[in-house]
Amino acid sequence: MGRRLTGFRRVTISGIKNFFRNSWLTIAATAVMVVSLTIISSAVVLNVTAKNAISEISKNLQISIYLKDAASQGQITQLTQDLKSNKSVASVTYVSKAEAQKQFNQTFKSDPTLVAGLQILGTNTLPASLEVSLTDLGQITRVGAVPSESKYENIVDSVTIGKTDVKKTIARAASAQHFITLASIIMAVIFALVSMLIIFNTIRMAIFTRADEIKIMKLIGATPTFIRGPFLIEASMYGLIAGLISSGIVIAGIFSLGIKISNQAEFTATYDFFTSARIIAAMVGGSIIVGIFVGVFSSLLAMKKHLRLKTW
Amino acid sequence: MILLDRVTKNYNKRGTALKSITLHVEPKEFVIIVGPSGAGKSTLLKLLTREEKPTSGKIIVGGIDYETLKDRKIPLLRRKIGVVFQDFKLLANKNVYENVSFALEVVGMGNKEISKTIPKVLDIVGLTGKELSYPSELSGGERQRVAIARAIARQPKILIADEPTGNLDADHAWDVIRVLEKINKYGTTVILTTHNQDIVNKLKRRVITIRDGQVVSDKAGGKYK
Repeated sequence: MGRRLTGFRRVTISGIKNFFRNSWLTIAATAVMVVSLTIISSAVVLNVTAKNAISEISKNLQISIYLKDAASQGQITQLTQDLKSNKSVASVTYVSKAEAQKQFNQTFKSDPTLVAGLQILGTNTLPASLEVSLTDLGQITRVGAVPSESKYENIVDSVTIGKTDVKKTIARAASAQHFITLASIIMAVIFALVSMLIIFNTIRMAIFTRADEIKIMKLIGATPTFIRGPFLIEASMYGLIAGLISSGIVIAGIFSLGIKISNQAEFTATYDFFTSARIIAAMVGGSIIVGIFVGVFSSLLAMKKHLRLKTW
Repeated sequence: MILLDRVTKNYNKRGTALKSITLHVEPKEFVIIVGPSGAGKSTLLKLLTREEKPTSGKIIVGGIDYETLKDRKIPLLRRKIGVVFQDFKLLANKNVYENVSFALEVVGMGNKEISKTIPKVLDIVGLTGKELSYPSELSGGERQRVAIARAIARQPKILIADEPTGNLDADHAWDVIRVLEKINKYGTTVILTTHNQDIVNKLKRRVITIRDGQVVSDKAGGKYK
């Protein structure tokens, strides 16, 4: 056990020394990896943000069906069931005339003249309504068409479908999200490949410059693990450092840019999410793990090709 | 200690390097292998260190049958065999102490044990006081003695010296040979290849002559012909 620990310590020290030996290659390899990891984590952050914002805005998307006073309870139930038969309908809430009045008073309590004005008109002014909320934006027109059918002519007074500008915003955000997802996947793949290539070359160079050392190690009875170890440690160092730097960049970005939009309703929850200690830790950890994985994978490829540990 | 039974080595491109060689070396023996360049000396040594596999025949070293030796056990075999080369193969960026300690670190020796072992082996090869010198600051003979120190630090049962004096002038060559004799006296089997007639004749040890991949003579107290 002691021997193993000593061996591990030596392999680690040797790997760290190699990491600092060729500073230009080290900087290049780390820099490219920082770029790829930053792109990957920014993509994740942007995707989550866009998704949350869309669902936040979508919450406001409702169809309001204003009912005629003559509508009977049975007819209303019939309409409610009809609406609910569409899967994208999340809820149908009946708002009675009294409740509508209450909501109006609540909404405009800061504007007493309006409330007073309504009182003059009498308590019977506001119609009862069905508030329909949706989970799928695409279904809004179809659902909106249900109360307009001729059989509901007698009970439905009018139908309001969301606000058109909100709809447009959501549609735009959704297409932007798709674009971001696609573009970031492509970019991440390209940069991950580039950084693999560079690390592959860095380790290959390290193998060539240390060819004598490796040859001697083989001849004096070093195990393959002992020979490979330093290269794996070196490659992991790229991942570790690049992971720290890139998550630092992304987190700094969230704090500096995110704070500016954090008070907008659709971003508040997302901002709180990304600035929580748990998520920050996960982001740092995740970047490091991905970085180390890329590093170790490419160095294993380089060693397989150039270390020739098959022939002793 | 070392047994070769009808060992043949064919290279695809260069033809046959060794033709059915049979040899037996006792423990603690000092054996000199001579022969012209290309006779198969280096191939023979590479077979012993398992850098090459024989085409046919049996090799048993220190009780290990190479035929059944698994690849992952090769490092363990190499730890029992010390090797010294004509071109020293020292690491230029490490000093004498580090070059020797490197060999011990590789096999997992603890730092305390290393710091106890190195002064002893440097004393054997006569390099006490040169611990902090780099290979470039040493003479050829001294470099070869560092290489020997590195090879024997792990206390191998066998020391293979492949033309260790090839790059040295007569005085330095004899320094190296005397160190090999000393190591042999302590109980290590030594296998030496050389072109140096003077050394072979003065040593009066067992001399095996190889020519065209075959053993043409094998005599105790033999001479270089």
